[in-house]
Amino acid sequence: MTLRPIFEWMDALESSIALRESLNAYPAFLTAHVVSMCLFAGLIGYWDLRLLGLTLKKVPASSILPRILPWALTGFAVSVVTGLLLFYSQPMRYFSNFYFWFKSGMILLAGLNMFIFHITTEKSAARWEMDLKPPFGARLAGVVSLVLWAAIIATGRLIAYAGLAPVWWDNLGLR
Amino acid sequence: MSTLAFFEWMQGTPLSAYFLETTWSSPIIQCIHLIALSAFAGAILIVDVRLLGRGLTNTPVAQLAREAEKWLLGAFAVLLSSGIPQVFATALKEYYSPYFWLKMQLILAGLVFTFTIRRKVALADEERMGKVWPKLVALVSIAIWTSAAIWARLIGLLS
Repeated sequence: MTLRPIFEWMDALESSIALRESLNAYPAFLTAHVVSMCLFAGLIGYWDLRLLGLTLKKVPASSILPRILPWALTGFAVSVVTGLLLFYSQPMRYFSNFYFWFKSGMILLAGLNMFIFHITTEKSAARWEMDLKPPFGARLAGVVSLVLWAAIIATGRLIAYAGLAPVWWDNLGLR
Repeated sequence: MSTLAFFEWMQGTPLSAYFLETTWSSPIIQCIHLIALSAFAGAILIVDVRLLGRGLTNTPVAQLAREAEKWLLGAFAVLLSSGIPQVFATALKEYYSPYFWLKMQLILAGLVFTFTIRRKVALADEERMGKVWPKLVALVSIAIWTSAAIWARLIGLLS
């Protein structure tokens, strides 16, 4: 079973069509998506810089995340909701879009990176959080997160450039 | 030279033609601009949230503001150098877009506010500033920069 019938079913729903035909829904959701992305990615990026030892070296690492996470998660929640609404308004546009799938895959990888850091290096934060140079695990988590979120932002922008997908993707004939 | 003539000149430059005629230059520069926007937002918000009395409350505002400023300036330099080529590429579209001019006014207001009043409040003795001024400054800062981002997004969508 492929995903296409599910996307086609969603695409034909009245509420999906209503959002698609609304003049204001797309600009409103997209703008809210970008602004909330700034709140989330900006603060998480700052946390990543701390993991790399590039800022706030004198502030214990373990004291930073709990203090900025509520703000970052608020941005993430609004980003997810507006992202899902954008997706729901044009399922068939996204079904065939290379950058949509690329972006979705990298969001999963970014989540996995956070989870691995949480169950490994973060547990020993008390030992290294005041070191001028954080341990390899922390620096790795920081650089992987920065690269992934930058790529997520970039592929998010490239969704608008569906025509610039690789040739092998176009050969799949999803459109 | 009038403003319109200046924008017409920009539209006619080889730089503008390069962006219009090459496939990847515009999307790549837009991606860089958005990534820099996030970095800029992070450097602004880490201080504004603290000025609101939340976030990194175990760190003095002045220390946070001093550390964030270099990231703020770095991100702004990338925003500027990735934004200017985009204005060259679509100069006449920008000239006739009310959102572009609103965005530019907000950026100017944001820069003046950030490097005068906000900087003074963030670097001042916290006890002397009290609780109201830092919060007010943070709210004004968030309002200006959020509005700039909103109008920026609307240039592409509604112009």
